Amino acid sequence: ELAQELAEELWGSGLPGDLPELEPECRSLLAAFAEGSAALTGCLGRRARPVRLCQGCSGHYRRLLGQYDSIARAVGNSSESHNCAKSILTSDRLQIVVTLSEFFNETWEAANCANCLKNNSEGLSNSTEEFLDLFNKSLTCFEHNLQGQAIDLSPNNYTEVCKNCNETYTKLNDLYNHLQRMNRQGGESAHSAHLCIDVEDAMNITRKLWSRTFNCSFPCSDTVPVIAVSSFILFLPVVFYLSSFLHSKQKKRILILPKRIQSNANLVNIQEKYS
Amino acid sequence: QLTPSSFLRIGQLSNVDLNEDIHELETEVPRQRPNEIPHNEKLLSLKYESLDYDNSENQLFLEEERRINHAAFRTVEIKRWVICAMIGILTGLVACFIDIVVENLAGLKYRVVKDNIDKFTAKGGLSFSLLLWATLNASVVMVGSLIVAFIEPVAAGSGIPQIKCYLNGVKIPHVVRLKTLVIKVCGVILSVVGGLAVGKEGPMIHSGSVIAAGISQGRSTSLKRDFKIFEYFRRDTEKRDFVSAGAAAGVSAAFGAPVGGVLFSLEEGASFWNQFLTWRIFFASMISTFTLNSVLSVYHGNAWDLSSPGLINFGRFDSEKMGYTIQEIPIFIFMGVVGGILGALFNALNYWLTMFRIRYIHRPCLQVVEAMLVAAVTATVGFVMIYCSRDCQPIQGSSVAYPLQLFCADGEYNSMATAFFNTPEKSVVNLFHDPPGSYNPMALGMFTLMYFFLACWTYGLTVSAGVFIPSLLIGAAWGRLFGISLSYLTKGSIWADPGKYALMGAAAQLGGIVRMTLSLTVIMMEATGNVTYGFPIMLVLMTAKIVGDYFVEGLYDMHIQLQSVPFLHWEAPVTSHSLTAREVMSTPVTCLRRIERVGTVVDILSDTSSNHNGFPVVESNPDTTQVAGLRGLILRSQLIVLLKHKVFVERANLSLVQRRLKLKDFRDAYPRFPPIQSIHVSQDERECMIDLSEFMNPSPYTVPQEASLPRVFKLFRALGLRHLVVVDNRNEVVGMVTRKDLARYRLGKEGLEELSLAQT
Repeated sequence: ELAQELAEELWGSGLPGDLPELEPECRSLLAAFAEGSAALTGCLGRRARPVRLCQGCSGHYRRLLGQYDSIARAVGNSSESHNCAKSILTSDRLQIVVTLSEFFNETWEAANCANCLKNNSEGLSNSTEEFLDLFNKSLTCFEHNLQGQAIDLSPNNYTEVCKNCNETYTKLNDLYNHLQRMNRQGGESAHSAHLCIDVEDAMNITRKLWSRTFNCSFPCSDTVPVIAVSSFILFLPVVFYLSSFLHSKQKKRILILPKRIQSNANLVNIQEKYS
Repeated sequence: QLTPSSFLRIGQLSNVDLNEDIHELETEVPRQRPNEIPHNEKLLSLKYESLDYDNSENQLFLEEERRINHAAFRTVEIKRWVICAMIGILTGLVACFIDIVVENLAGLKYRVVKDNIDKFTAKGGLSFSLLLWATLNASVVMVGSLIVAFIEPVAAGSGIPQIKCYLNGVKIPHVVRLKTLVIKVCGVILSVVGGLAVGKEGPMIHSGSVIAAGISQGRSTSLKRDFKIFEYFRRDTEKRDFVSAGAAAGVSAAFGAPVGGVLFSLEEGASFWNQFLTWRIFFASMISTFTLNSVLSVYHGNAWDLSSPGLINFGRFDSEKMGYTIQEIPIFIFMGVVGGILGALFNALNYWLTMFRIRYIHRPCLQVVEAMLVAAVTATVGFVMIYCSRDCQPIQGSSVAYPLQLFCADGEYNSMATAFFNTPEKSVVNLFHDPPGSYNPMALGMFTLMYFFLACWTYGLTVSAGVFIPSLLIGAAWGRLFGISLSYLTKGSIWADPGKYALMGAAAQLGGIVRMTLSLTVIMMEATGNVTYGFPIMLVLMTAKIVGDYFVEGLYDMHIQLQSVPFLHWEAPVTSHSLTAREVMSTPVTCLRRIERVGTVVDILSDTSSNHNGFPVVESNPDTTQVAGLRGLILRSQLIVLLKHKVFVERANLSLVQRRLKLKDFRDAYPRFPPIQSIHVSQDERECMIDLSEFMNPSPYTVPQEASLPRVFKLFRALGLRHLVVVDNRNEVVGMVTRKDLARYRLGKEGLEELSLAQT
């Protein structure tokens, strides 16, 4: 609706003919861009939590890219000076169209959506589909196992969940780690070190549920052997220094008498200090 | 000549109080038997000799100069530039090699240990992970220590004290050999991979120096290869100039600080300096950092990016929060004070430890065992700290290389592991740049404390490793802690960014330990890439030095002293004007006549009780009974070359076709002249005569007997002399001043003290 309003305003505020006005073709291009960006903004906002950007908004984003491209490439029908790209993109200080498109591009880059889309960016990649499948499965598993005990939510009563969903969770976790490793090997630059935000966020939610809410990960702490081994190692240097102090022969230096006129007096002085 | 009155006069002038003096005069019995004492810091070792910086302007030299025309000297100048470029390139390449190998090996190690820990966290049995980590560290360090202890002990440590001595004019045996370079490079890689609290930056300076010394000679005596190039530079003077260029190139490659490198050479070897040399050294430095930068950027896959000018990059400090205001200056100065005190504490602890090591842990196998123990303990301390820490940080959005989960919730990592489970360089950069709140103050405090003792314990081990990075890390840790508490006190003001304080703390700690001034300021400035930090860094370093010097001296100076090196400081001790050359000099002097019997020369040279290197040459008039006037000075190395080529008067008469000796013959023997024992002189030849007038330096520097110690010192230090002849007013030789005669006077706690000579 917003885009509609915007477009109407543009149409409505038609200025007198003598002033340089936007070509009709350009005007329609601009309107299309406005509409597209409004749609994308809406999509991004609605899918902010839990993050589903890459799954839901990639179509909008691609369309917007196309619209921006057509503005940048459009030449208009008349002379060179009146082409759309120039009049829309660069004729004022604010350059709102450029700013908007930059914002969307940056957001898309930061979300790293390219990572979970297919190479031709149509649809999710196979590994992402697989991951999301598993993710949904684990969520369903959580729900199923919690239903019975929804009444009492004391933190210790989640053992059922932990037992029953362990398999799915482990699978999910392993798949995520695998994806991450693959990703690291493939790309060199800093951006591709991350998976796309949808996958990362999904994993994050699950992990939080698993280890914070359900308290399912209890690592085995074996403090006693660790203390024993470390105190043994820490004890070794003490033995070493003591034994080398007691058994090693102290290194002696042989003093040389310098050939000097007054050497005797000074040497006696020094020798007495150290004897 | 020695009257009782003169004795009394000397006794009064030397700096001991009068009562003791009388006591001494009474008990003045010359003790002849060798006296054994435990090692202490008030000794000068006989092992160290001076370098011959003074050019011997003998007949051969003049002949050569006449023969070489003007154009040839221009080629010599061009060759100097070529050599400097090669020094830069090779130093950069060596730095790249170290960096890449360390990165890969350390990465491999941490991955193995991390996988192991992850496995055992789930199943139990973390003590095995601890054992694995400790064993891995210890075995890697064992190899590193073995090669140093058994193959080349001079490669131990950071090498900066050794290079400082070399530039000062002391010949440290083996210090610029190719073998040392190889051991140094491998040793550094192994000790960093072995997880010791060390850095790879300091040894770069030594490596650069060895490269410089090697290239400028155009040959390697270790490999027995002579490339027949750069023969003109086979002299101590020329070599020293190139070594200072190499040291600068090393600093520049280590920190990405070309100007800092030049200033480092200036600060450490400043008594011999000229402007042309500065410009050449700067050239070598620039080439070095550029080479490192381009090769590393190609290696990291973004060629032409040129984003890694040094082995360590402090990262960029140009965000809004990183700026400082005038009000913060007093805070920085306070940090400088803290750094000075902590640095002095570090040095004092290390002093006791080093003394213990010299006295008791002198056998190579013990040294290796000690290094292994330190490596194992370092791993253990790290593990225990990580194990005990319950400080978890979300893994998302952080750039941790090896996140250890341990007892944290899934998706989080142990924040203590970022500090301990990483190479020290990475930890430093993390401390500078991690956003506020990444570190738990408690954990950081424990880390600082532990790392302080570990680093102190590690320095002085028989492994090649530097102290720069550990110092920076300690400083960055307490600096960050300081910053955190400051922002806590000020209720989170925007200006109290902990990263900035981490940087200042790092500077303060490093300054407090090594006490470098000008060069360190510039190095830090260049490493941060922020010129506005120059002022606070300078203030911090200045304060740290002043405060630290109040307690003990700098780490490098301390180690030089503990090695009993006859090091000449900038100036003679201030209260020494009453000492004259007569009291300082050694006497009597072994002189040679201008035309001397070969037998005498051989006997003098093979006398083991006096390993003199320079012999005054006196007039050989047989009719005069008294000591004849000084005519020149000849060096042991020259005599050996003469004996080797059998340049005897009789032989010259016998065979007129015999090739005349040239300066080249002396240069070819440089720098390892054969010992006198290896030269065979037959009984007949002993009776021959040898004419020294062509080969001796006809105008050696001399001083009168009455010259004061500071005057002698100035002449000696400024010209880089090795022998200074003391003459009376009839130009007769009465004594000889050498480096050890001057270096033995030192300003101690109770005024002027004198060091004694010792065999080590």
